[in-house]
Amino acid sequence: MKITKEKKLSLYNKMLTVRAFEEKAGELFAKNLIPGFIHLSIGEEASSVGTCSVLNKDDYVASTHRGHGHMIAKGADPKRMFAELFGRTTGYCKGKGGSMHIADFSIGILGANGVVGGGFPIIIGAGLSIKLRKTDQVGVVFFGDGAANRGTFHEAANMAAIWKLPVIFVCENNLYASTTPVDYSLAGGSIAGRASAYGIPGYNADGNDILEVREIVGKAVKRARDGKGPSIVENKTYRYRGHFEGDPQKYRTQKEIEAFKNKSDPIQLFKNILKKEGTLSDQLDKDLREEVYSMIEEAVRYAQEAPLPKPEEALEDLFVNP
Amino acid sequence: MTERILSCSEALAEALAEEMERDETIFILGEDITAHDGIFGQFKGLHKRFPGKVIDSPISETCIIGAGVGAALTGMRPLVDMHFADFFTTAMDEIVNQTAKIHYMFGGQAKIPLVIWAPDGGGLSAAAHHSQSLESWFIHTPGLKVVVPSEPADVKGLIKTAIRDDDPVIFFQHKKLFAQTGPVPEKEYLIPLGKGDIKRQGTDITLVTYSRMTYLSLEAADQLAKEGIEVEVIDLRTLKPLDFDLIAESVKKTFHVLIVHEACLTGGFGAEIAARIGEELFDYLDAPVVRVGAKDTPIPFSPVLENFVLPQTDDIVEGVKGVLNR
Amino acid sequence: MIELKIPKLGLTMESAKLLSWQFASGDEVKKEETIFVIETDKVTFEVSSPADGIIHPIAKTGETYDVDQTVGYLAENREVYENLLKTYPAEMETHERIDETKEEVVTKREETSPGPAESEKRITASPLARSMASSHGLNLAEIKGTGPGGRIIREDILETLKELEMVGKEKEFLPKAVDKDFLGKEPLETIPITGIRRVIHDNMYMSLSQTAQLTLHTEAKGEAFVDFRDRLNKRLVKEEIKFSYNVILVKIVATALRMHPKINASIEGDEIKIWQQIHIGVAMESEDALVVPVIRNPDLKSLNEINRDLNELIIKTRENKLLPDDLANGTFTISNLGFADVDYFTPILRPPESAILGVGRIIRKPGIKNGHVIPEAMIGLSLTFDHRIIDGAPGARFLKTVKEMIEAPVLMIV
Repeated sequence: MKITKEKKLSLYNKMLTVRAFEEKAGELFAKNLIPGFIHLSIGEEASSVGTCSVLNKDDYVASTHRGHGHMIAKGADPKRMFAELFGRTTGYCKGKGGSMHIADFSIGILGANGVVGGGFPIIIGAGLSIKLRKTDQVGVVFFGDGAANRGTFHEAANMAAIWKLPVIFVCENNLYASTTPVDYSLAGGSIAGRASAYGIPGYNADGNDILEVREIVGKAVKRARDGKGPSIVENKTYRYRGHFEGDPQKYRTQKEIEAFKNKSDPIQLFKNILKKEGTLSDQLDKDLREEVYSMIEEAVRYAQEAPLPKPEEALEDLFVNP
Repeated sequence: MTERILSCSEALAEALAEEMERDETIFILGEDITAHDGIFGQFKGLHKRFPGKVIDSPISETCIIGAGVGAALTGMRPLVDMHFADFFTTAMDEIVNQTAKIHYMFGGQAKIPLVIWAPDGGGLSAAAHHSQSLESWFIHTPGLKVVVPSEPADVKGLIKTAIRDDDPVIFFQHKKLFAQTGPVPEKEYLIPLGKGDIKRQGTDITLVTYSRMTYLSLEAADQLAKEGIEVEVIDLRTLKPLDFDLIAESVKKTFHVLIVHEACLTGGFGAEIAARIGEELFDYLDAPVVRVGAKDTPIPFSPVLENFVLPQTDDIVEGVKGVLNR
Repeated sequence: MIELKIPKLGLTMESAKLLSWQFASGDEVKKEETIFVIETDKVTFEVSSPADGIIHPIAKTGETYDVDQTVGYLAENREVYENLLKTYPAEMETHERIDETKEEVVTKREETSPGPAESEKRITASPLARSMASSHGLNLAEIKGTGPGGRIIREDILETLKELEMVGKEKEFLPKAVDKDFLGKEPLETIPITGIRRVIHDNMYMSLSQTAQLTLHTEAKGEAFVDFRDRLNKRLVKEEIKFSYNVILVKIVATALRMHPKINASIEGDEIKIWQQIHIGVAMESEDALVVPVIRNPDLKSLNEINRDLNELIIKTRENKLLPDDLANGTFTISNLGFADVDYFTPILRPPESAILGVGRIIRKPGIKNGHVIPEAMIGLSLTFDHRIIDGAPGARFLKTVKEMIEAPVLMIV
C-alpha cells in the first residue's frame, strides 16, 4: 500500500495524540478529577490508529470499554471527549455516558460498550444495514482477547459469514483479559485461527507495527468493501497500564511491562522508521509533541470549564418521543 | 361500511405489508420466518412481496437483536421476531443494556427505531419454556416501550405506530390469540401508544387488564351482569407508557379495582398499577385493590395443571365479587 | 417505656373522665395519633401519643382519674411491651388481634381477658368512606360498618347521611303502616345518655335537688336599651364586631353585682364565700348541648373588651374548641332565650353559683303613659337565686338594679 510522507507524519501525530490523551486522562484520574473508572490503551496506539486510518468517515466502528484510542483515531475531538469524561453537558454524550459509553455518530462511531463482547451484535446490524441499503460502507468491531470467548463473538462471526456482511473483526490481543492471561483462557491459542471455523479469513498482525496493521486491516477492509464478506484480524499488542486505572496488577510483573515498553512501543518503533528514512527529525518530533501536548492541555481546560448538567437533565433523552 | 373480519395474525401481516410498502427501510429478521411465513403465519405473503426484506436468521438471538440495534442505528427500521417471548432471555444484554440504553447514554445522539416482536402467553400445553408472560421485565427497564394488544384492530393500529415510533418497542402478541378474529377497519388508521381502551362500560368496578385476559374478563363481565354487577373492562393495550388517566377516570366512578393479568402474580405489572392507584387514588377506594394473576410457578405441561396455574374466567368472577364484598 | 398520663389542660383542671381508648393493648401506634379521649367539665379532649410504639392501656373507661395520673404505657418495642404485660396486667378487656406473626402475644392476652371489647376496637373504614365522613363532619366511631370485618364503606356513609337528613327535619313520627289502633309503644330512636348530655343531666338534677331555688320575674322597658345598642353599632367601622344585647347585659350585670356583692357568692361547706372577682357566664348552645363559657372580670372591662371576649367565645363554641379554662370559675350566669320568643322562665342555678338571670325577648306591648295606651318595648327578666344564702328582698333589690340599668344604660357609668 503506497503511503505518502505527509500521511506517515499524520499517522505519527495521531499516535502521539492518543498517547498524550491517555496519559493525561491517567493523570487527571489519579488526581481524582474523573469520576468512575477509566481503561487506558497506552501501548496499543498502532492498532487503533492503524485500523482507523484505512476507514472512511462514514465507515462504522463499534468500540470497547478501552475505546479512547479508537475514538481519537476515527476523528473524535479530544475537547468533547474530556468534557464527557468530566461528566459535563458539552461532552459527547451530555455527561450521560462517561468513558465507557462515548460515541460520535457523525463519524460513524456506534459507541463504546460497557459489556465485553457487546459490540459484535451491533456491528452485525450495521453490516446488514449496509447490505440492505446497498452502500459501500464497512463496519469494524474492535474487541479484546477476552471478548473472543463470548457467545456473541461466535454468533456474530457465523452470521457475518453466512450473509457475507461487510464487517471486520479487529481483535486487540493484549495478552490479558482483565487479570486472566490469554494462554489460560483462549482455547486453540489463536483468535485469528477461529476464523477458519466460520469459513472466513483470519489474519495475524504485529499490533505494534502501525504500517503492518494498516496493511493487513486494509486488506480485510477491501475484501469487505468488495462484497466478499467478513474477516478476523488479530493485532498482537500490549497495554502498559492496568485493566483499569488503579488496577493493582498482581497478574503480571513490572519486569514484563518494562520489557514490552523497551522492545515494542509502537510510537517508538514508528519513530525509528521515520527517523531512519528522514521523514522525522528530532526537532520536528519535539515540535509535534509540543503541539500535541498543548492541544491536549487546551482540551482539558475546555472540559474543566464546561458546564455541569442540571440534575433534572437525568430525566431527558430517555425517548425520542416520550 | 362493511365490517371486515380478520384474525390477529392476518391483521399483523396486513399492517406489516402496508408499512413495508410505505417505507423501504423496514425489514423483518427472525428465525424460521420465510418457510412458513412465521410460526403463526403472521408474516404471510411478506417475503414474496418484499424480497430481501424478510430475512431468516440462524439461531443467534444476541445477533438477531443486535442486528436490529445496529441496523436501527444506521438508518433502518427493523422488526425482529424473537420466535417465543421465552427466548428473550438469550439476548437480554442486547435488549436491556444496548437497545434500552443507547439513546440515553449517548446523550440523544442516536435513535433506535426498533420493534422487537414476540408471541407470549400460555394455555396450549407448550410448557415452561414456551408459555411465559414476561412483560414485567421490560416495563422495569427504562428506555423501552411495551405494547400488548388483544384484538385484531388493536394489533394493526398499534404495530403501525410501533414501527413508525423512533424508540424501541417490545411488542407482545398472545399466541392463543393469533386465530382470534375481530373487525378491522379498512381505511388507514393508527392507534397511539400509551392509550388504553374501555372494552366494556360499567359502573360497579374497574377491571384493568390486557392481552388474552381481556377476553376472559369480558366473559366474566357477562356472567356478572346476570347478577346485577356491571364491570368496566379497560384493556390497557400499551403497558409502557401506561394510560393511568383512563384508569383514574374509571376508578373515580366505580371506587373498586380488580387487575387481571396472565403473568404470575408476584412482581407482575398489576403490582405497579396497584401501587400507583394506592398512591394517587387512595381516597376513591372503597375496597383494597386486588390482583388476579397466574400462580407463582413455571407453567406446567399437563392441561389440568396448567389450567390451575393460569387465571381462568371463574377466578376473575370471584375476584370481582371479592372486591365488591358480595 | 413512656408513661401515659392524664394531661393538665388548664389552670383549673384537676381530674378528667377517661371516655375511650382508641387502641387496645398490644396495638402499634404512631406519634401524634389520638390514643385516648378524656372529658373534663363539658370539654372532650383527644390525647395523642408522644411517640411511636406499642400501647398498653391500664385505666378503665368511664372512670375518673386525677391530672398526671398514669393511665397507660407506651413501649418502644415488642420486648419492652412483653415485660410491661408482666408488671402491669391489662385491666381492660382486649380484643383479638388478627396478626399471624404475633400469635403468642395474642394467646397470652386472651388468657387474661376473654371476649372482644367494643369501644377499644380500631375503627376500620375504606379510604373513600373516611374522606366522605371527613367532608361531612361525621364521626366514624358512631357509624356501623357493613364491609368485610366490619369495615365502614361508602354505603354506610350514605346510609348515615340519609338518616341525618331525617333527624335534622325532626323525624316525623312514622306510625306503623297498618294498625292505627296499635296500643304498643316502640322506640323510634334510642340515644344513650353519655358525654355532655350526661353531665347536663346530672348537673341539672343536682342543682334542683340540692339548692333552694326560687325565681322572681319583672319587666324592663327596652327603648333606651335598644337605642343604646343601635348607637354603639352605628359608630362601628366596617370590620368591627357588632355589639349584641348580651354584651351590654354582661356589663350591666357586672356593675349591678359590684353594687350587690352578696349575690356574687357561693356556699362552700358551712361557709358563704363572697367572691372578689366577677366572672359572668353566658349560656350558649353547642352541638345540641348547653355550654356556658365565661367572661372574665367584666366589671373591669370596657364594652369593647367584653364584646371581643364574647365574640371569641362564640367562635370557640361554634368550632367546638372550648377549653376547660373557658368554662371554669363562673360566679353568675346570664341565659338569654329571647331568640325563641320566651318572655319569662325559671332558669336553673348552676352550682356553685347562687344566682342566674334569664332574659326574654324584646317585645312591643301596650303600656300606659299619662293615662294613654302607648306601644312600649318590654324585656322579660327572670332572676333565680339560692334562698339558702340570698333572701327574697336582697334578691329583688338586685333584680331592680339590673332593671333600672337596662331602662337607663347610662347608669352603667359608676
